[in-house]
Amino acid sequence: MSNELQGADAINTLPELLAHALAMETEATERYGELADQMETHRKAKVAAIFRRLEKEEQAHLVELTHMCSKYELPHYAPWDYKWNTGESPEAIDIGKVSYRMSVRGAVELALVHERRACDFYAGIAQRATDDEVRILASQFAAEEREHIGWLESCLADCGPDDAAIDDPDPPLSQE
Amino acid sequence: MTISSVSLVIAGSGGAGVVTAGSLLLDAAAKAGWYALMSRSSGPQIRGGEAAAMLRFATEPIMSHDDSFHLLMAIDWDNITRFSAEIPLSADSLIVGDPVHGEAPAGLLAGRPRQAALPMTDIAAKIENGRPNMVALGAIAALIGLPADAMQAVVEDNLKRKGQAAIDASMSAFHAGFAAAADLPAIPKLPAVSATSGPRWSITGNEATGLGVIRGGVRFVAAYPITPATEVLEWLAPSLAKVGGMLVQAEDELASINQIIGASYGGVPAMTATSGPGLSLMIESLGLAVAAEVPLVVVDVMRVGPSTGIATKSEQSDLNIAVYGLHGDAPHIVVAANSVPDCLFTTQWAVHLAEAMQVPAIVLTDQAMGQARAILPKPAELAFIGQRETAKQAVEGQRYKRYAITGSGVSPMAIPGAPGLTHTADGLEHNEFGTPSSQASDHQAQMDKRNRKLTQFNYGDHWADIEDSEVGAGDTAIITWGSSTGPAREALRRHAAAGGKARLISVRLIAPVQPEKMAAALAGIKRAVVVEQSHSGQFYRMLRAFYDLPAETVSLHQGGPLSFGPGQILEQLTTRSA
Amino acid sequence: MEAVAQKYKAKDYKSDLKPIWCPGCGDYTVLNSITRALAELALPPEEVAVVSGIGCSSRIPAYTSVYGFHGVHGRALPVATGLKLARPDLTVLVTGGDGDGFSIGGNHFLHACRRNVDLTYIVMDNQVYGMTKGQASPTTAPDWEGSKLTPEGTGINPFQPLVVGLASGANFIARVSASDPINMAQIIVEAIRHPGFSLVQVLSPCVTFRPEQAEWRDIVRTAVVDYTDDAARAARRLMTDDGFNVGKVLFKGSRPPFRPEFEHTDGSVAELEARFAL
Repeated sequence: MSNELQGADAINTLPELLAHALAMETEATERYGELADQMETHRKAKVAAIFRRLEKEEQAHLVELTHMCSKYELPHYAPWDYKWNTGESPEAIDIGKVSYRMSVRGAVELALVHERRACDFYAGIAQRATDDEVRILASQFAAEEREHIGWLESCLADCGPDDAAIDDPDPPLSQE
Repeated sequence: MTISSVSLVIAGSGGAGVVTAGSLLLDAAAKAGWYALMSRSSGPQIRGGEAAAMLRFATEPIMSHDDSFHLLMAIDWDNITRFSAEIPLSADSLIVGDPVHGEAPAGLLAGRPRQAALPMTDIAAKIENGRPNMVALGAIAALIGLPADAMQAVVEDNLKRKGQAAIDASMSAFHAGFAAAADLPAIPKLPAVSATSGPRWSITGNEATGLGVIRGGVRFVAAYPITPATEVLEWLAPSLAKVGGMLVQAEDELASINQIIGASYGGVPAMTATSGPGLSLMIESLGLAVAAEVPLVVVDVMRVGPSTGIATKSEQSDLNIAVYGLHGDAPHIVVAANSVPDCLFTTQWAVHLAEAMQVPAIVLTDQAMGQARAILPKPAELAFIGQRETAKQAVEGQRYKRYAITGSGVSPMAIPGAPGLTHTADGLEHNEFGTPSSQASDHQAQMDKRNRKLTQFNYGDHWADIEDSEVGAGDTAIITWGSSTGPAREALRRHAAAGGKARLISVRLIAPVQPEKMAAALAGIKRAVVVEQSHSGQFYRMLRAFYDLPAETVSLHQGGPLSFGPGQILEQLTTRSA
Repeated sequence: MEAVAQKYKAKDYKSDLKPIWCPGCGDYTVLNSITRALAELALPPEEVAVVSGIGCSSRIPAYTSVYGFHGVHGRALPVATGLKLARPDLTVLVTGGDGDGFSIGGNHFLHACRRNVDLTYIVMDNQVYGMTKGQASPTTAPDWEGSKLTPEGTGINPFQPLVVGLASGANFIARVSASDPINMAQIIVEAIRHPGFSLVQVLSPCVTFRPEQAEWRDIVRTAVVDYTDDAARAARRLMTDDGFNVGKVLFKGSRPPFRPEFEHTDGSVAELEARFAL
């Protein structure tokens, strides 16, 4: 487990794990959606499609997870109290890392970084948890993240060379 | 019939107590049961400058100064010629000066007034703590028929905290002046009034403006000091606090207008008061209030422009900026008060209009009426209260449309705090939801609705004061607005006294224009005289642009600070009307 | 951790409107941090208002689900001042950029700090005018040659918002980086909770007109000392600061917020009128 995910040590109960998972999957769903919206707004259909697909995947997780969580009373964490040391949750793409000129390859690579972090986060909990239920569920979550990683890796194989450096023939416009 | 009145000026340099003397005289006249109008003129100095108090007294209500003054009481002659254009004197006039200050300056003598001497300084010197201005007041009281006991009561009220000795000294000087007046030539005396015709008020135009907005429901004011609007604010600050409102002194006029936009967006009726330079700074944000549909009232107490102009004197020259100053097509309300008491009516009406139509309303008053104090019949109670159509409840399954297209053009406004109705009010062109839009169709639809609010509103008869001479309207009209209405009213009255027929149309609703109502008012009118205090004839040009005027229409216009007297307007009526 | 159902989620504070900011813009992060902060404070959306002027960052109100006011350039602070004074029950945030706040709205900035109305002012500082295609702003370095308007640089020293804010009387001063959204949310929560005028400067890169600002995320460092309530100490720190110490509150004052009394007395218009009667 990378250094920035060490906080996973502190997660030892099922409600704690679920609260973290719920926050992470919510944020990932919303973030992929936001990024897809950004790219659609700027007519970057191919990059938008990657993010939209990931949003859908995360959304599916989120639905299952929400259902699971309904059986428990989850602790409330302020955004800065979650046990990951990544600032935002490990799976949420850093908004500052995307760009208008981003290529499909660039988008896939960026998503991969975050999906791997999410996977590592769950795997780290599974590895260190003393509670069986926590370990089993965290392992399951890690496996789900691995599916995303697999899909992204296959996308990457299909991607052409990085074309992000191509100049934009239309200069920025003046608004208000 | 013509008004039986007496007009006088008290003039002097700083320290002469001219303004105090004028106020005492006005208060005493009030006690004597008279009606009065007092305006003042002063030099640019903060302290020590020359000043003149111009007063007219009558036994019935008055709205205007006369063509000339019966009396100029000069406590000294320092810089008095700076006012000579504002103090018309005729052969019937009397100048009274103090011999210790020498002869009257030649600049005052063009109208060949009579002259007399009153040794105010010498008389005052014989009384312990006697002051020349009180001697002057005594003489004035004797000349115009003001009972000494009226002054006694006023001096007692005013000097209570200074003690009996001060009261006695003042009254001794007063009585000495009263006695000395026996040697002075006569001017018209007013009869003492035993029982007055009804309840009277003593109020300035600026105070009436403040009262009007409070009556209309304004509870938030933000403003920056500016002459001659500051007294509106000085009256409002403590008065608002008494009725659960507040006044904030802002850092500039840009802040004033935007603070009241914020307060009004928050649901609290709001206004600011300023003068031309401040209005200029507010213009961009007035456009914001039009686009975002935020009701508010801006009172412009006009002064001589352009630029800093003559800050202490009056002019009707902000009409153009008030009507046309906003960029883009920005329908808004412009109303104008036409007398001291009408400041109350018009500002209260303006709050009502602004709130009802969710639109900014500019109220034009001016220095002449704003800083004038009048003793007048108690103004009528008015029913106008600002009432905004608000959205109270979210409709299930429907997103709230802040700028919904409605028949009246008015869209129910959600006030922050109302659940389910959150929205962003926007100065960017927007669609019905308030979402920014650059589409032609949204711009067209929103412009139409913003215009419709104003064109479909029922303004009733308040758009103008229309008054016919007692013997009928005839075929001649005076069309005027604002402060020029006072002398026009008196001209109409004098004309009627001589059997002349004419109609006065004093336009209160400057914008939006009312062509049908004006056409009805001008039915049968063949000649018109347009009267205004503007060098370029702004009002005349606006009338020409929007109304069908009689073929024979003349424009009587001049820049401030001089105003047309009733006689000048009467002359137009008598030479032109049938 | 207390087990309480979170009343609002960050998403509840977002509108359906999709932002038009360039991908990668720091303002997206600020929007997210504001919505996180509001959720953490569990403020009902209808009891919050966000006010702005003109500029890229001033688009924020429309992207929230709270009450919003999008006014003219430079005048957000007076609108917010009027709103908060008239409606002290509302939580009022002001959002905008460096040009809106420190250039065209500079005078209001000084007086808003001075007046100390209970507002939270979040300035997204990217040292450039984005809406008009990249001109130098008051916080731009004097030698920046990226604009056709000032091809040789402005040659004038940048405005120091936090120093000026402190000198003018701001009651809470912090600097945060768009590269740390969670820290930003935490600081915004503190700023909203702190009575009086709170100033939060966000280093929010403009990816289109100042692409070099992408480096900011590597340059910024978490300030080493915690906040002071001593304005003199805060001033010394700010005067020697290179502008990249972020993540902590720098100053917290204890001046009571400006709030002229709104007395609630009924029926006294008649009393006002009585004073004019003879």
